[in-house]
Amino acid sequence: MSSVVKQIIAVSGIMILFLVCVMVLGLCFGSSGTGIRSFAETIESFSNPDSLYYTIIWKIRFPRVLIAAMVGAALSLGGLVFQALMRNPLAEPYILGISGGSAIGAIIGILLNLSRFPGVSILAFLGGMGTLFLVLLISTGKTLLKKESLLLSGVMVNAFCSAVIMFLISLTQDARIHNIMFWLMGDLSSGGKSEALIMGIILLPCFVIIFWFSNSMNLLLMGKEMALSMGVNVKIITVSLLMISSFMVSATVCYCGLVGFVGLVIPHLLRLVFGSDHRVLVPACIFGGGAYLVLCDLLARTLPHQGEMPAGVITALVGAPVFIFLLKRSE
Amino acid sequence: MFKKIRAISIIGMSLVIFSAGIVCAETRPMKDQAGRIVDVPVSPNRVVSLAPSITEIIYDLKCEDRLKGATTYSDFPKAAQKLPKVGSYVYLDLEKIVSLKPDLCIGIKDGNPKAIVMRLESLGIPVYAVNPRSIDSIQSTVLEIGELLQASEKARHMVGEMESRIDYIRQLTATAKNQPRVFFQIGISPIVSAGSDTFIHELIEMAGGINLAQSYISYPRFSIEEVVVAAPDIMIITSMAREKVFDQIMAKWKQWPNIPAVKNDRIFLVDSNLFDRPTPRLIEGLEVLLQIIHPELNFKPVNF
Repeated sequence: MSSVVKQIIAVSGIMILFLVCVMVLGLCFGSSGTGIRSFAETIESFSNPDSLYYTIIWKIRFPRVLIAAMVGAALSLGGLVFQALMRNPLAEPYILGISGGSAIGAIIGILLNLSRFPGVSILAFLGGMGTLFLVLLISTGKTLLKKESLLLSGVMVNAFCSAVIMFLISLTQDARIHNIMFWLMGDLSSGGKSEALIMGIILLPCFVIIFWFSNSMNLLLMGKEMALSMGVNVKIITVSLLMISSFMVSATVCYCGLVGFVGLVIPHLLRLVFGSDHRVLVPACIFGGGAYLVLCDLLARTLPHQGEMPAGVITALVGAPVFIFLLKRSE
Repeated sequence: MFKKIRAISIIGMSLVIFSAGIVCAETRPMKDQAGRIVDVPVSPNRVVSLAPSITEIIYDLKCEDRLKGATTYSDFPKAAQKLPKVGSYVYLDLEKIVSLKPDLCIGIKDGNPKAIVMRLESLGIPVYAVNPRSIDSIQSTVLEIGELLQASEKARHMVGEMESRIDYIRQLTATAKNQPRVFFQIGISPIVSAGSDTFIHELIEMAGGINLAQSYISYPRFSIEEVVVAAPDIMIITSMAREKVFDQIMAKWKQWPNIPAVKNDRIFLVDSNLFDRPTPRLIEGLEVLLQIIHPELNFKPVNF
């Protein structure tokens, strides 16, 4: 067995262990206040699917924890891909406005009373692709600031998206406005079993494809000419990876709204720990990102005295300072 | 031999428990105000209210012993604050609701998130939706909740009382000579009024006034300029924050003495709780409005 394979297995093993621990915690705690003790009771009452604990843990918390894990994985993987392809440590779907664009599409879908799937999802995907195209269009070609142009154009497109979202919200006056507001803050509370299933069907193949391309990402990081000479079809791989990541991000936006900064924090953290080999980083991001969002969602569910808060609030509270730290350091 | 007896007795006991379970879970279909057929328990004993107005109506019907949970802002009557909280009505806490083991949830069609309602139902908890949009539909809401909770008698009595208080006010306003132009201000900043599809509009009309925001729907925003041009005879301000804020708003409007309401000193503060919840308390709000809009009619509160 080559050393890379060994490393992949070791890192994945550690991250999976971490993810499983966090998921068990996520199953144990919740707003109805049942702790570890009652989880033991649930294991006892496995045979009795009518019991209350069974319902709460397996029908309410379990799909939610699963969705959080998949969304976290998709978002941090999206961040990793964007950072590799654009060779910019601050690139991330949320900061570059891909999430915002998807949100515009999704809000229009909600206001048109379309169903979550496929109506709203397709519009969200179109919105995400539109902003990706816009960002790339603005940042390529002759611009004044070569290196920062991508980030700047992303920030501008994102600001524009926020403005459009605000505009759409100010047009809405009925009860839907509350739903949209909570959803925009990144909300995992409404997912059930069927949502978890759809997310799995959409996201898991994307994870596999990105892992498949992970060595190409390594080569791309060495520069376009280098990658070309190593037999990498730069154009096709860049475009398809960007498309797949945007597709994943818009799928998560459609179900959970804007969960920010996951794609920034996790890849950087993991790169610090495990080095910059994407063959290792891709699985690490999948499991680590999942664990991070499960943890954030757990905090969102248990921190408030009454009720719960959107998970996106927690990820942004953690993520924004990290972003500033990275920005300072990269100077 | 003993084994056999034990087996038979276990089977017998489980049959008894099973059939008892069926008796407890006896349901009947009822059509709710969202037009859905809901299988509700004949005698619901663990009800969770998904909106403050519903909590209030359940207390009015004296059925609070059946109520096991309510939303965060269910603060009337005072006793309702002690109920376990299941999140606010626009952001329900699914897990908390389920942990209260309700046999019936009563929610509102506009406001409660659909996704949560659908998940409650997929977990076997019936959700009966009400949709009070007018005084009439508040009365039918009271009657329906009364029927759900086996308190039809009390509900009919409440509706009768509402009816006679409204009749009295109709008689009074029929004798009024003028229809003052009323500007009803809900928000302080921005200035928000109530359009023609709101309870407030209905109450202003019933109290014999003209709602200056009637050409709008839902809750339109106004600029100071528009208010000055509309020239209201009376301005009514609801506020959750009390007196102190009211003084500030008064001082602000005092800068515009060409508004008739300002010139004649007819700016009033009313308790927002009487106007923003679709419950029988709106009739109290109506009586307050009547006394503000037509003080000359000598309204005397009727005691029941």
